[in-house]
Amino acid sequence: MSADLAKKNRFARFVKRLKRSKPDYFLISAFIGLTLLAVFMLLPLVFIVNHAFKPINELFMYPPRFLAEHPTLFNFRQLFLNAQKMSIPFSRYFFNSVFTTGVTVAAAVLISAMAAYAFSKHKFPGSSVFFGLIIISLMFAPEAVVIPRFILISELGIMNTYFSHIWPLVAMPVGVFLMRQFIDQIPNALIEAAKIDGAKEWKIFYRIVLPVCMPAVATVAILAFQMSWSQTETSNYYVQVESLKTLPYYVATLTGGLANGVVGQGIAAAASLMIFLPNLIIFLLFQRQVLMTMAHSGIK
Amino acid sequence: MARVLFQHINKQYPGEHRLSVNDFHLEVADGEFLVLVGPSGCGKSTLLRMLAGLEDISEGEIYIGDRMVNYVSSKDRNISMVFQNYALYPHMSVYENIAFGLRLRKMAKAEIHERVIRAAKVLEIESYLNKLPSQMSGGQRQRVALGRAIVREPEVFLMDEPLSNLDAKLRVQMREEIGKLYRRLNTTMIYVTHDQVEAMTMGTRIVVMKGGIIQQVASPKEIYNKPVNMFVASFIGSPPMNFVSGKIVITQGQCYFETKRYVLLIPEGRRRLLQERYIGKKIIMGVRAENILYQSEDLEQEKHKHAKIETMVNIREHMGSDAYLYLHNKDHRLVMRVDPWTEHEEGQMLTVSPDMERVHFFDPETEAVIC
Ligand SMILES: Nc1ncnc2c1ncn2[C@@H]1O[C@H](COP(=O)(O)OP(=O)(O)O)[C@@H](O)[C@H]1O
Ligand SMILES: [Mg+2]
Repeated sequence: MSADLAKKNRFARFVKRLKRSKPDYFLISAFIGLTLLAVFMLLPLVFIVNHAFKPINELFMYPPRFLAEHPTLFNFRQLFLNAQKMSIPFSRYFFNSVFTTGVTVAAAVLISAMAAYAFSKHKFPGSSVFFGLIIISLMFAPEAVVIPRFILISELGIMNTYFSHIWPLVAMPVGVFLMRQFIDQIPNALIEAAKIDGAKEWKIFYRIVLPVCMPAVATVAILAFQMSWSQTETSNYYVQVESLKTLPYYVATLTGGLANGVVGQGIAAAASLMIFLPNLIIFLLFQRQVLMTMAHSGIK
Repeated sequence: MARVLFQHINKQYPGEHRLSVNDFHLEVADGEFLVLVGPSGCGKSTLLRMLAGLEDISEGEIYIGDRMVNYVSSKDRNISMVFQNYALYPHMSVYENIAFGLRLRKMAKAEIHERVIRAAKVLEIESYLNKLPSQMSGGQRQRVALGRAIVREPEVFLMDEPLSNLDAKLRVQMREEIGKLYRRLNTTMIYVTHDQVEAMTMGTRIVVMKGGIIQQVASPKEIYNKPVNMFVASFIGSPPMNFVSGKIVITQGQCYFETKRYVLLIPEGRRRLLQERYIGKKIIMGVRAENILYQSEDLEQEKHKHAKIETMVNIREHMGSDAYLYLHNKDHRLVMRVDPWTEHEEGQMLTVSPDMERVHFFDPETEAVIC
């Protein structure tokens, strides 16, 4: 409520400033420039959404159009028809993705937050060394760790299990880093007050630290979700059993060899949208909190 | 309710080479309002935090009641603490903030409710119970923090500069409220502040600290009138006590305090100075701003006849109920309190006389009081 009001006020003030007798040209040009930039950034989104609803002939139109002129659900129907024809139903991939992503997000958030709390508010031997290691691991390109990871997973004996979709993503250096930035801002007095009030470590963590860090939790959840939801690596490298593979893998096979035909393009467009949508929805739900985290951590 | 006993407490932070609290030994009586006062960095918070169980004790033992609490965790010490920046849980309503400690102790819901309401009534925050801390002013937040502290009915209250974040007017008001709260609860309170006014007005007993070491423990009146050393004398009281250095001389059987510019007769009653070791030696005289007289009928009195100082008014500072004159006589400076209705021009010459019955003499080496 009050946030809404504040937003309105801010906008009113902004308009007032624009209307003042002496126009602020910097403000006006910044406003116009940023609006153009925002519209430009929006284009791929518009394209993805429209593409999924284009009939076949529009999909291959040259030059390509952004907007679907005769929107249709044909591609989605094809997607489900096609999926039914395959030995593994679409719903199985979908379930695999939802399940592994869900567990990954929950575990990544919890573990990042607990590690960050320990790093931020507790003293233990080697804490700065360990934190340094985590920061360094931020800098490795994912390609560089594919082989060690593969060996690790196979030695752990979790090849061809759901764990192989989850474990590689649960260790989330970015998450630890972000959460720590946020927890650092919690005054020690708050934690001490809870201690005196009678809370032990675990209570302090989940009754005080986690709720106060909700924006950071949301951010880490989104990042973990995006990492896990759209990745194909784990299905490619660690899982050979078709029924354990995930949705993005399935979509990749559609766009790849399997359905290179004309209809395949439409199916791929529809599937891409279905993979993309959860990202968008989750981001829109949490964007306020994400921006808050960014502001806190000085990342952007 | 319980007494608190500090038994030769030392505290050395890891990596620090000096002690932050040095041989602190004190018994706080049951139901006492003890104020720890001292400049910032003197170890007040450290001491309080050791008592609260938030900081390890390097050496010595702390007792609450008859129980040695060195190894007892904070939550089991039956204390509560109010912090300078309130430390309210930002995501909980005022009600939940106050109830949190009780909920953790698994108290029955009805009893929690009753206690929260009672505490809220005492502190007059009933109408804010559903608000979040961020929707309240500093003064209201500090009331909530007090509510959170009293609702658990602890044996000892600890407060670490609870009023420092409030503006001057609110501070005076809250000072009174805490005083009232204390009289109502009659629980042992240990209150930390760097503000000597708070210390003087609130405590039944004051501990003045400096560099981790106790300087003096006494009632507010005694601390003010009988400071044990120059530090206490200058720290307590505003403006701070004037210090003048000079020496003790004896001429014709009379005892004088002599500086380069004036000679002041020391009355019979203060002849301890005559002890051999101070005669002819450097000594420091301390005199409070209100113990310097300037009106002609005062100066006529016998005891002031031979204790006069010629000075010039440098600055006149009007405070409302009081006015202060900053006097100087070449290298000597004095601050004195005058009736705000008197007129003194800056630059005017003025003859003044310290009340020699009430001045203090300090040893310049040890800074300890002589008499
Ligand atoms: N966590 C700490 N680590 C190291 N030194 C500290 C720590 N906390 C306080 N100190 C030092 O201990 C001394 C006393 O600090 P403190 O008790 O906070 O003083 P006060 O509350 O009287 O201002 C200071 O010199 C301070 O630098
Ligand atoms: Mg302090």
